[in-house]
Amino acid sequence: MRQHVAIVDCGDSAVVVKAVHDDADHRWRAVHALADALEEARLSGVHGLVPTYDSLLVEFDCADTDHRTVRRALEDALDQLGEIPAERPSKLFVVPVVYGGEHGPDLPEVADQLGLTERGVIELHSGTTLTVRCLGAPVGAPMMDGPPFPAPVARLASPRTSVPPGSVAVAGAQAVICPMRSPGGWPLLGRTPLRVLDLDSERLAPYRPGDRFRFVPIRPEQWDEHAGAPLVAADG
Amino acid sequence: MADHLVIHRAGLSAVQDLGRFGRSRFGLPVNGALDQFSARVANVLVGNDESAPLVEITMLDFSCTPSTDVLLAVTGAPAEITVGGIRRPQWEPTAVRAGETVTIGGIRLGARVYLALRGSVAAPSLLGSCAPDTILGFGRSLRDDDELAIGSGVPPIDHPVLRHPVFRLGVPVPGFREPWTIDVTDGPDVAEFGASATRLFDAEYTVSPQSNHIGLRMRGDVPQREARGEVLSRGVPVGAVEVPAGEELLVLHRGRGVTAGYPVLAVVTATGLCALGQVRPGQRVRFRKRSVAEAVTAHRAQRDVLRALRQRASTLFDALRLPMPTTSAPASETP
Repeated sequence: MRQHVAIVDCGDSAVVVKAVHDDADHRWRAVHALADALEEARLSGVHGLVPTYDSLLVEFDCADTDHRTVRRALEDALDQLGEIPAERPSKLFVVPVVYGGEHGPDLPEVADQLGLTERGVIELHSGTTLTVRCLGAPVGAPMMDGPPFPAPVARLASPRTSVPPGSVAVAGAQAVICPMRSPGGWPLLGRTPLRVLDLDSERLAPYRPGDRFRFVPIRPEQWDEHAGAPLVAADG
Repeated sequence: MADHLVIHRAGLSAVQDLGRFGRSRFGLPVNGALDQFSARVANVLVGNDESAPLVEITMLDFSCTPSTDVLLAVTGAPAEITVGGIRRPQWEPTAVRAGETVTIGGIRLGARVYLALRGSVAAPSLLGSCAPDTILGFGRSLRDDDELAIGSGVPPIDHPVLRHPVFRLGVPVPGFREPWTIDVTDGPDVAEFGASATRLFDAEYTVSPQSNHIGLRMRGDVPQREARGEVLSRGVPVGAVEVPAGEELLVLHRGRGVTAGYPVLAVVTATGLCALGQVRPGQRVRFRKRSVAEAVTAHRAQRDVLRALRQRASTLFDALRLPMPTTSAPASETP
């Protein structure tokens, strides 16, 4: 496994593991398996793990441990991983979305950019099941592979200072739901009336990496039917 | 009625701790006191656990009155402290009688002041920390006329007539000087900036008003990225110096989202982050390049200072036969 990653220092309190395997799915599974292994190892001083699509950030207190110890733990974990474990069982979340209009102000611009009709963008975004690759910014957002658009989507030239909760956005070859009101530079296609996070639960978010999302277009007048309902898996 | 502080002027203040650790995998930023050294010292000076909840006061005047005798310490940016109208020193433990008013005003040179009380203060906890998370909408911000529950009081421990402070623990106080010198190491994407990377160390940057605990925007001569192309979101550390396409640097602090897509030119060191947590909008900043080894040494030296201080404080409190404060916050509220 060691030959499939590069480990670099990232300041005095972090290292980054970058997976370099040819296959994107392999890279993703490698960084998450590595994060699992490191969590299991309970290394003193390590307090933050951020596995994403193809990289793992390990944050630590450099008074309690050091780069060499963390690197060695990562290398040990890589040796023990051997073959990358197969995919774990995943849940499916079905998410109603009001596309366009006030809820998805960037839909026309994204359609333009991609040379598609607005309807075409909606069909691609809602016609594919998207896999959650990690929980990221802002606060536990499900970060997914983007829909099969013909080209990457550019980020906004000037980020919004406030994106409403439930906003459904895309950028590059990625897709996301913004769980809470926050600043954001991703073009907004629509918005779900569901409540994404549960502040009373230990995990905050009901989904985890590997789970799948399917977006279902709804009409603006159907918003109230779903407003404030918690996001729950369709398959239990 | 439980012991409490009556907050008269809250200004911009909130109950804070060192942060919400171990949750970044769930997408949660660590948050916590932006000047970790000052926050830790404040708690050590009153015999608390370094991670005990305390009050973080940002720039504006603050005043409160305890309902019982307390021992408190004020650290962070220079300010005027009075107790019952009498000036008291910052960076030392200070005894306050029930009903005496404590004022913290004229905060200058830096942005944040920390107020710790022996026995700590109460705050709602989320996933093991009371640190505010403004995106989640979580945290205990203080408002005028609030009552903030506090841990058990202490016996009066200063001279009943002369009111001389009895403590001289001698903290080495960090410098508060503009322009700020902020230590950084090379970031993982430094190669993408080619020769322009060194501009970071030649230029002086001005901190914009759109700066907060999530990140500081800085105007100045910004290095230019040579590489182009799509960047997949990836984890970025607290302290990342990001270079978006525009005319500003973005320096991430403890409230930063755990993932981002901009190249990381440099990373602020652990001690540099404490200083950066004190920088006010409008102030000027210069970056100084350090090796990772130098940065680690500086951070460990700061921890040694804390360890020595804790030792002196513990000797003092033992001599005074002060009961140890409980390690956890009093009567913790639920969110």
